[in-house]
Amino acid sequence: MDPISTVLWPIKWAIELILVSFHTLWTAVGLDPAAGITWVLSIVGLVIIVRAALIPIFVKQIRSQRKMLEVAPQLKKIQDKYKGKRDQFSREAMSRETMELYKRTGTNPLASCLPLLLQMPIFFGLFSVLNDAQHAKVGVGFLNEKLAEQFGNASLFGIAPLHDTFVNTDTAAVRIIAAVMVVLMTGSQFITQLQIMAKNMSPEAKNSPTYRQQRILLYLLPLVFAFSGVTFPLGVMFYWLTSNFWTMGQQFLVIRNMPTPGSDAAKAREARLAKKGKLPKNAAPEEEAAAVEAPKPVQRQQPVGKNRAKKAGVKK
Amino acid sequence: MKRIFDAVILLPRNLLVLLLRGYRAVVSPLYGDVCRYYPSCSQYALEAVQEHGATVGSALAAARVCRCHPWAAGGVDDIPRRRRFRYRVTPFGFVVGATRKV
Repeated sequence: MDPISTVLWPIKWAIELILVSFHTLWTAVGLDPAAGITWVLSIVGLVIIVRAALIPIFVKQIRSQRKMLEVAPQLKKIQDKYKGKRDQFSREAMSRETMELYKRTGTNPLASCLPLLLQMPIFFGLFSVLNDAQHAKVGVGFLNEKLAEQFGNASLFGIAPLHDTFVNTDTAAVRIIAAVMVVLMTGSQFITQLQIMAKNMSPEAKNSPTYRQQRILLYLLPLVFAFSGVTFPLGVMFYWLTSNFWTMGQQFLVIRNMPTPGSDAAKAREARLAKKGKLPKNAAPEEEAAAVEAPKPVQRQQPVGKNRAKKAGVKK
Repeated sequence: MKRIFDAVILLPRNLLVLLLRGYRAVVSPLYGDVCRYYPSCSQYALEAVQEHGATVGSALAAARVCRCHPWAAGGVDDIPRRRRFRYRVTPFGFVVGATRKV
């Protein structure tokens, strides 16, 4: 076995276990075991299991984000120290100090990389499981000969085989479904990204280079999805799409109920709560702090000649 | 002669540098700020590969990603520096033979 399939083996085994379990469940409910929809629903089940397993991690992250309020004054100090400094070294020093603070106070609000990277092998594992099934190859675990053949031959609505891709198909139905899915995928990703960027970012985060990069990418995403949409089998696309929808829903709930302190979403939430007369007590001092730091312009106002000042005045 | 030798020796790590730059340009922004450490995992991987080469650098990077789990405290975690670094790093990140003594 080559190294990649050795790494993928346990993942494929687990994927097959979940897929086959859901397939058994759906069949028991009364769905046709060979129908495409049964297998699609099994894939949806797989997404739900994977994403549900990630919920505790997510909740933990939100908790520490709330704890951030406690260290807000210290964070503010660091930010004030580097206010208006845009050069690389100041930014680096600021990141260092911020991270140091998170570590010291145990309030790291960031998600960590490992879970994100772990999702990639799952994706490739599913890709590989589907690919094997396409050639009616027996899986590594629970996907026996009969099931593999069934999976390999399953087609959605009886016309669009799940293992087909936009490029290698002869059926128009696959093309249409793939195109619709690309649109939905792009849309959901776009909305998720826009939600985070427009509402759930603190003003400091909006000044970072990552933010600018993210904005560019927001408009490049449709291209990426269009490309992957034509080369990935429908089954894999269903995994991706469901996962995207899950992220979108989760993001919506989080932004609504537990927004990042200092972001627009947090202000909107405070306004909502104030309307209902349920504003929590600890929200008040934060606003005070915001009011105090308002003055102190960083850059000196450039002197302007009389004529120019007049022109500028007219423009306004 | 030495330049060709350097280029061959440095080829694997420069390929990885290219890969990592691509990742940082395309995939990283998708996730936003995620890493619990400074420098971030991908930045760490880039520097580790530049300084320690493809094999050791990759191992260092893999160990770091494994450290970056939700229960880690995070904080500042720099790559182990080499006592002597014989090469030069271009602004893009490629490692090239030093042209003059620094």
